[in-house]
Amino acid sequence: MASAVSGRARPSALPRPAVRQVVRRNSYGAVPLALLIILFVVNAAVQPQFLSQQSWAASMAVLCPTVLTAMAVTLPVLSGNGGIDLSVGPLAGFMSVLIAAVLVPAGITTPQLIIPIVIVFGALTGAINGLLVAYVRLPAIIATLGMYLFYQGLGTEVLPEAGGSVPVWLVKLNGSFGPVPAVWIVFAVIALIWTLVTRGSYPRNLLAVGGDERAAYTAGVNVARLRLITYSIAGVLACLAGLMLTGLIQSGDGTVGPPYTISAITAVALGGISLAGGRGGLLGGALGGAVLFLIQELLTDAHVSVFQVSIIDGIVLIFALALNGTVEHLRRRSPAARPG
Amino acid sequence: MNAVAEASRLVIDGMSRSFGETRALTSASLRVRPGEIHSLAGENGSGKSTLIKILSGVLRPDAGTLTWEGDVRKHLGSPSGAQGLGIATVFQETLVAPEMTVRDNIYLGTDRLFRYGRRKGEEVAGARQALGYLGLDGLGLERPMWTLSLAERQLTTIARAIIRPWRLLILDEATSALDAHHRDRLFDYLRLARSQGKSVLFTSHRMDEVLGLADHITVLRQGATVATMAVSEASRRGILGHMSGRADIIEVISAGPGPDGAARGDPRRRPDAGPQAGPRPVLHVAGLALRATSAPITLEIRAGEILGLAGLEGQGQVEFVECLAGLRRAASGQVQALGEGGQARAVHSYRGANRLGIRYVPRDRRHEGLFGPLSVFDNFAVTLWSDFNRLGLLRRRVARKRFEEFTQSSRLVSASPGRPISILSGGNQQKVLLGRWIAMRPRVLVVNDPLRGVDANTKEELYGLFRRLAADGVPIVFLSTEIVELLTLTDQIGVFHEGSLVAMLPTETSSDTDVVAAMFGDGERGASRNGANDG
Repeated sequence: MASAVSGRARPSALPRPAVRQVVRRNSYGAVPLALLIILFVVNAAVQPQFLSQQSWAASMAVLCPTVLTAMAVTLPVLSGNGGIDLSVGPLAGFMSVLIAAVLVPAGITTPQLIIPIVIVFGALTGAINGLLVAYVRLPAIIATLGMYLFYQGLGTEVLPEAGGSVPVWLVKLNGSFGPVPAVWIVFAVIALIWTLVTRGSYPRNLLAVGGDERAAYTAGVNVARLRLITYSIAGVLACLAGLMLTGLIQSGDGTVGPPYTISAITAVALGGISLAGGRGGLLGGALGGAVLFLIQELLTDAHVSVFQVSIIDGIVLIFALALNGTVEHLRRRSPAARPG
Repeated sequence: MNAVAEASRLVIDGMSRSFGETRALTSASLRVRPGEIHSLAGENGSGKSTLIKILSGVLRPDAGTLTWEGDVRKHLGSPSGAQGLGIATVFQETLVAPEMTVRDNIYLGTDRLFRYGRRKGEEVAGARQALGYLGLDGLGLERPMWTLSLAERQLTTIARAIIRPWRLLILDEATSALDAHHRDRLFDYLRLARSQGKSVLFTSHRMDEVLGLADHITVLRQGATVATMAVSEASRRGILGHMSGRADIIEVISAGPGPDGAARGDPRRRPDAGPQAGPRPVLHVAGLALRATSAPITLEIRAGEILGLAGLEGQGQVEFVECLAGLRRAASGQVQALGEGGQARAVHSYRGANRLGIRYVPRDRRHEGLFGPLSVFDNFAVTLWSDFNRLGLLRRRVARKRFEEFTQSSRLVSASPGRPISILSGGNQQKVLLGRWIAMRPRVLVVNDPLRGVDANTKEELYGLFRRLAADGVPIVFLSTEIVELLTLTDQIGVFHEGSLVAMLPTETSSDTDVVAAMFGDGERGASRNGANDG
């Protein structure tokens, strides 16, 4: 997994302890990874066309906003103290409104302009969330719920009915360049940025703050600033999810975003991330998002109705949380974990 | 700078800090020189921890100056600010991120937000060296913190401090979980650092550590520095006397003219010593060992007796009352309630203890006892409903009557019992909370530091309440962090040290200095009327 936080093997280090380190640091991902593989195999077995070129590209395109919003929620959750970002869904949805109903009519259509605008928009919204949580000290669930309602309302206010037009390049991001799904390129770019961010000490600081805020603070970590940055990154990721979503639905729609909040939180739980913070890794949310997507794919294939999908989503969420608790319990009780 | 400041690494002058109404520090002063190990001594609540938090950048003082290596400052800003100046602190609590590795915990806070402070190789070498000093050579650096023992965790937090480029190392009770071997290794390291011109400031609950390690000692009492001396010139009794401050005791007692008036004159005596003709035992503690390593406690608590419990923070006294209340299981032994006919019934759970009439009043009234938005009356009556109901319907009238009885006897001034309890003063809230348990007609009342943050007059009224209760034959186990209070109210005082009951002092013949000496594990008079084991 690419989420090796910092324990990368050095040339001088022996491979085996290094491998063990990477495994140990990412043990939270074992269950979602296993689920992912099982579901992948089941999907491939049930739907022969699942692995086909076209279906593959389409699946990745649908998956992309789910995974990105899940990654966005992962960060505040890891930062602990009840951290969460409920606003990711409406914020992502608002991007489609912003692009289709504001930017394109104003003649702003090139990626060179739209992508920076989206990123700055996300960073600013996230920074407001971060200020409210880290400095004003509002409970994250309330502060980001406010932001959720704000963007939900703003989306339908600016664009009461779905419509507008989106730039062609954005639609193409959900297609294919020859044999390669364009989404892969998007993922590659995000993975590159992600690696740059997580190569440094940010994950260590984040997990420390989530693990024991006072330990981090007294050791010299600037806890409030770290939270501010964390919510900002979450905002950027949510807006990037919105960018991909806009290309996917090919129009502006203020109502399309909110459900992504729920799926993102479900994905975080499925990704083995402790909702109490401090345990889990940065790509857990991405894994969880993929698992959730494969479950829904399977249900769609079985012609299960939308309402039943929601019922099953609920069961999956509860199951995921219970599984996290059980795995954690077993891990703490395993003989290898005894103090000594 | 004058000559004094030049020869000093750190000078604190006239430092004060309040938390709301509580004045934790009033005028602390302190001077630490280069190349010395300095001990900061004082009882619970003397302001040690507050001062250390100021020196580590966690808190900012209200007033006073701090001179660090010649530069006068108001405060240090933040923990990272203090560390930047060369002040490293090990806090009393072992603060670790449990999911992270040993190495990550040691180097916590040395990074920028996105950039590591050191290469991995440097971190490994530095952590190895620091752990080596502390006698933990074999500890796996990549082990998750939660798999470590308490002692290993504490040593890791010490390693976290000493890998930093420090010139002043502050250790706040940093040896509490360590065995003799690791403690000696730490002390060797501290002496080595001293020989290199570095300074150490430490607090310890072990008097032998203070005398064996420190060059100078500064004593705090009630938030003020009362003495500074070279250890070579100090005697144990002298230090203990400064900590307990005999002269102040009479002053405190006479400051609050109690309604009973009886506390005056002789502060050592309760006005009513309870029934003397061999009161029957109500509670039997049989071989109770609080921790695996502590000596078992055997004692009897008799009707009408007020047993005081004392000890420095975390020495086992809180565990003991929690065992009595059924909230905690001891390592071995049990607590038995003795019935009228002498039949013994063991306490296994909190519910069980309640059924046997053992009522526990917790320490943190805001979190463990009070329901802020509910009314005064509801807060009073909440424990009564299980008894005062008929077929599940509440019998409010009976509860009202008890409430009236209680308000009269306790002089509870309350505008209206229907107002929310949060509008009452701390002292009155505490009265209601106590009243709740007293109204249940307990067979044994166990109270955990009930008068903390209560003003002197209310204290006197509550003393009266306790005394009347004891006179009615109800034994009271009274844990307090204030020695004066124990000497005023109780019949005898059990003192805890490192998880064991080390002394049982009859209040009549004991002085505050005796209590403090026992608290620091220095009890010459570990006499035990009830067979308490001498640690």
